[in-house]
Amino acid sequence: MADRPSQQPPNWILSFFRWFCKPEYLEDIEGDLLERFNQRVTTDGLRRARWDFSKDVIQLFRPGLIRSFHFFQSTNHRNMLRHNLILTFRNYQRYKSTFLINLVGLSGGLACVLLIYLWVKDELNVDKFHANDTQLYQVMKHRTQSGQTITSTWLPGLTAQTLREELPEVEYAAATFDLDHYTLSVGDKDVQAIGQYVGEDFFKMFTYPLVYGDPSQVMANRNSIVISKSLANRLFNTTENVVGKIVEWQHEEQYQVTGVFEDVPRQSSMKFDFVLPFDIILEDYEWATNWRTSWPESYLQLKPGADAKLLNHKVADLINRKTEGEVTHVTLFVATYTDNYLFGNYENGKQAGGRIEYVRLFSLVAIFILVIACINFMNLSTARASRRLKEVGIKKAIGAGQSSLVVQYLGESTLLAGMSLLVAVVLVKLLLPQFNLITGKQIPLFFDVPLVLSFLSITLITGLVAGSYPALYLSAFDPAKVLKGTLNKSLGELWARKGLVILQFTLSIVLITSVLIVYKQIEFVQNKNLGYNIENILIFDRISWEEGNLETFLAEIKKIPGVTGASSLGHNMTGHNWSTYGIQWPGKDPDDRTEFEMMPVNYEMLELLGIEMKEGREFSSVFSTDSTKIIFNEAAIEHMGFTDPVGEEVVWGNGNLQILGIAKNFHFESLHEKVKPTMFWLSPPRTMYLVVKIEGGMEQSVIKQLTGLHETFYPGFPFDYKFMDQEYQALYAAEQRVSILSRYFAALAIMISCLGLSGLVAFTAERRLKEIGIRKTLGASATSIIGLLSGDFTKMVLVAIVVALPISYLAARQWLENFAFHIDLQWWYFGGVGLLGLFIAWLTLGLQTFKAAQINPVDTLRNE
Amino acid sequence: MSKHHLGEFEEIVLLTVAILHGEAYGIAIINEIEQRLNRKVSIGSLQTVLRRLEKKGYLNSEFGESTKVRGGKRKRYFSITSLGKKVLITTKEQRQGLWNAVPQFVFNN
Repeated sequence: MADRPSQQPPNWILSFFRWFCKPEYLEDIEGDLLERFNQRVTTDGLRRARWDFSKDVIQLFRPGLIRSFHFFQSTNHRNMLRHNLILTFRNYQRYKSTFLINLVGLSGGLACVLLIYLWVKDELNVDKFHANDTQLYQVMKHRTQSGQTITSTWLPGLTAQTLREELPEVEYAAATFDLDHYTLSVGDKDVQAIGQYVGEDFFKMFTYPLVYGDPSQVMANRNSIVISKSLANRLFNTTENVVGKIVEWQHEEQYQVTGVFEDVPRQSSMKFDFVLPFDIILEDYEWATNWRTSWPESYLQLKPGADAKLLNHKVADLINRKTEGEVTHVTLFVATYTDNYLFGNYENGKQAGGRIEYVRLFSLVAIFILVIACINFMNLSTARASRRLKEVGIKKAIGAGQSSLVVQYLGESTLLAGMSLLVAVVLVKLLLPQFNLITGKQIPLFFDVPLVLSFLSITLITGLVAGSYPALYLSAFDPAKVLKGTLNKSLGELWARKGLVILQFTLSIVLITSVLIVYKQIEFVQNKNLGYNIENILIFDRISWEEGNLETFLAEIKKIPGVTGASSLGHNMTGHNWSTYGIQWPGKDPDDRTEFEMMPVNYEMLELLGIEMKEGREFSSVFSTDSTKIIFNEAAIEHMGFTDPVGEEVVWGNGNLQILGIAKNFHFESLHEKVKPTMFWLSPPRTMYLVVKIEGGMEQSVIKQLTGLHETFYPGFPFDYKFMDQEYQALYAAEQRVSILSRYFAALAIMISCLGLSGLVAFTAERRLKEIGIRKTLGASATSIIGLLSGDFTKMVLVAIVVALPISYLAARQWLENFAFHIDLQWWYFGGVGLLGLFIAWLTLGLQTFKAAQINPVDTLRNE
Repeated sequence: MSKHHLGEFEEIVLLTVAILHGEAYGIAIINEIEQRLNRKVSIGSLQTVLRRLEKKGYLNSEFGESTKVRGGKRKRYFSITSLGKKVLITTKEQRQGLWNAVPQFVFNN
């Protein structure tokens, strides 16, 4: 009765038991289990018996009874490790060139990855030092004009204060304004320092720790100034007891030091040496309390648990409300302050990347280069596999499992990666100062635990990736075939190696093409006729706002030999400064909020800048009526739609202005942007910059005399000038950096690829020495042998070129779309790079194959 | 003497094997212990102890005939070795010595 088939214990439990139990115990214990099960079926019923059976099995799962699995064995690990190490080092010694190629490639790749890792980590940590990191928000605005949304951080001066008063979830709020260079003096000592105006809560929100002073008190008075430790040292030669001392600002106003803060950390995106109370701005300037003018920036600290999304609804219509429904095209929103550094770009009201794109780009490049280096290792190891066939065969024949061979080869690659890490760390140490110079950072190299761990894990991953394919490939040989010598290389293996070479060259060629395109675009930008001439033009701040002073000073400047012109304007001519949508003209759409860039100028300014007039004339001191005139650029005229503009009138504010002339378009912003509508009007009192044009070659003497003149006019103010063309170039700083860095990376990529190629060719040539010998005895020429050896590789490189060029084309097109004005992609950029790639590959091939073709057949054929 | 130390459960198993003399296989031992001592014994704990005692040389084992009840699996019969006997006797003597050393009046209250 015990044998009815339905009365079976759970099958899978039994299988589980059979799987784990020691084989020598299996039979009798299984018998015991079954006997007990059958006993229970009769006494307790089937259900209960099956349940107890499972319980029995689980209770049998204990150390004394579980069989030893292969990986639990720890018999001779130490010996095997020693053995593997010896073999590895012998292999290095025997095939020095392979070893060196791998070492150079991997350490170059690793150095690259480590540098980029340091850079990426640094970028990701910018501004993250603030203790209230997650609660800090910047208020920003979307402005809709002619169907487009423009995002900016400039807001009305009262924004921060109002939000703090109106919204309970706002803990603190502070405005900041006018980060710039200023002259501070104590006694006779003048010091240039960067300062800004900040709201009362500033030190409570941001983590700029105060050495002296109370965060809630330091900004309370309108005549307080808080300075950094190093500024205190510069002003007073000490940081002790400086609180309470008087500092003179711009030789105009006196401030009392109320606090000293630690120098702004390296990873702060806001850099300043001192701060003044924002209340000064609110009290002194009418525009600052006006909801129609936007200029300062505003920051909020929310209370813990406050919902930023909800807040967005509340702040959206703030300006609309405050202007009683007059300004309808501006909506406010808040963005996490510490994310703005990386995610600061907005396109048409949507978050659209920012510096994070460079972070991603370089991470990708780093991975490319490391992959190329890993491929070298894979190719050379599998190619050399035939040398190790016997080793693998014998090991397997005497009982080595595939897994122990895999471990051996992975160990080899990881060891090599480890050695490369040492070389790479030395390289990083040497290259870091140069790298910092290019990237404009001051990244230190501290070996703390997280850094060491991440370096080690990068290395480990590299070793495992590089070793994975060779390990699996080598360990899978059939020992019988290997030892009999009948193993033929499978097609798959050959294809894999070819594929890897193609991948390598594809990556390299994509990189080289990108470098070329970036370089060409930057060259285009630098040489493009901007529509105005900013060479040899000095620009510096106006110091005195006294009536008549400016004119006298300009007149004196013009007397200096070598000065070809001097004037003043209220726009620094490099990038967007300020704009208005207040211009009215007949037929203007009342909803049109297109902003016109505002350029207040002095006489003869346009001529000095070389801006050509399309029609009419520019402001001239010969005519006394020019102050009621206005000049627009072509873009503005086009926007307003005048057919015969000169002499027409527009309304701005309370006055009518007659159009005096039309200036040709010129690019005062970077070529990322289209030319904006621009207006010039004659208003010397609003011009805060002085501009001096110098004859070529006279720069030195003119600057010297200007410095003297400046000192006599404005004693105590350092003459702080800039060349306008250099300022313009700074608009492309990010592209310049990418350009320089990518050049190095591309060079490294192609170098590592060629190293690998040369290793492979050398190996092939070595394998075919006898064949070459025979061919030579039969009369083959050196060229035909070179052709024979390089034919295959040439094909691979050609395939790589064919694959790489479309990819590069698409990538290049996408990048160039960032520029409103860009180069056209020429076919020869790609053709040229293709040829270059082929040429470099051939050069590599040639060097190796030529050597092989030169051998004396006697040497190779003598021994058999 | 400490190297011949027997655990409590080891001692019980060893004694039971001796009791069953020639009929001592897994389930039989379990049944015997459960009957005599009224305690639950799992196959797992018994088997571990049996193998441990065998390894120490206190037990021998050999396969018996196969039966249908056991799905055709053979039984493994355990028998006590002379070393096993010696250890049992030593253990008993030690206990006895301890009993003898206990003053009479302790248990007479």
